Amino acid sequence: MLSAVEYLGRAALGVSKTWADHFSLALSILAKIFHRRSYSGIAIMVLINQIYFTAIQILPLFFAVSIIMGFLITGIVFNLLKELGLAEYTGRIIMGFVVTELSPFLTVLFLALRTSSAMNAEIATMKVNKELHTLEVFNIDVISYLFLPRVISGVISVTLLSGIFSILALAAGFVCSNLIFNMSLDGYANLLLNSAEISDIAIILVKCSTFGFFITLIPIRSGLNATNDLTSVPVAVLIGMVRVFVAIIAIEVLSLIARSI
Amino acid sequence: MKRVLGPHLGLVSSDVPLISNLNVWSNIALIYQYHRKASKKSARTFVIQCLQRYGLEGIAEKRNSEISDDERFCVKVLRAVMVVKAVIVIDRPFRMLHYHKDISFIYETLAKIDDLFERCDILDYDPRGKLREERDDSKA
Repeated sequence: MLSAVEYLGRAALGVSKTWADHFSLALSILAKIFHRRSYSGIAIMVLINQIYFTAIQILPLFFAVSIIMGFLITGIVFNLLKELGLAEYTGRIIMGFVVTELSPFLTVLFLALRTSSAMNAEIATMKVNKELHTLEVFNIDVISYLFLPRVISGVISVTLLSGIFSILALAAGFVCSNLIFNMSLDGYANLLLNSAEISDIAIILVKCSTFGFFITLIPIRSGLNATNDLTSVPVAVLIGMVRVFVAIIAIEVLSLIARSI
Repeated sequence: MKRVLGPHLGLVSSDVPLISNLNVWSNIALIYQYHRKASKKSARTFVIQCLQRYGLEGIAEKRNSEISDDERFCVKVLRAVMVVKAVIVIDRPFRMLHYHKDISFIYETLAKIDDLFERCDILDYDPRGKLREERDDSKA
């Protein structure tokens, strides 16, 4: 009984410490975001590089995945709607499901697999190689130079790529609606405009920003947990990626709750 | 050491490695750009000029893993002099320069850039485990 209590206590302390570490790093980064001095020439250069690596380099693959997924999902949904006789809900389903739910979710999964894992491994390797120590020795603010550009690039990349995904999915939706419902472009555009709500756009922006913030913050924090041992790199990446996926699910659930209120 | 020398410390040590995802010139320019608010172009020009003093401009685009121990030492020294009013501290140099039997290579390296730093201290470990400090008199 006592050992079970001890085990629970240790687990609770471990979880609390993890939360405290993430919260503390998040606060430090948020404080720097609103600090003008954080945006030095070199930090902006790192930010541009990060946006290139995160959002630009993956564009060809992202376009291909978005078009395929767009066709697949809208095709399946439209066919189902036709079979069930619910064609009048087409616009609301495209806007409410494909644009506000699916686009951010698939985009963030894509970026988590590619960017978060790379970022996690990069920070962990830098920690193991004492490269973070190098930056400290030369009085370079690690948060402004290394972490802040990565977090901002995450927020920008998720938001922009999610927008691109939505546009491509809507385009695929038009092709499918034309094939299945014989709908014209004007009719399709009107359907979407009538179904769009300002609150949807606000929710997408908040959701994408939150996704972007956490899929970069968590890998950075996990990378910092690496020890001086090289074998701690894969462990840090593994733990970091599990936390990233838990965070994605948690944000998705919270956004659904927020929409239903 | 850092407490005493503050922002002027330019440490050259095996414990202060080059950043592995930056090439040689970016490693040196990072310190120059960060502390002097210089543009990328001016920093690159200055760094290439510094590398030319050692005849190492050819390694400017190489990464840490692609250069030799001697080249790495020169790059670390150049990185150290990029801080404002640099006081170079070379920590246990023979941990970085395994194949050198005397200090002449270090003196030659420093002599070529002696206009870029204020002072240089060389720290070494005594066999008895005490920290020994040797002032570089070539600069004086």
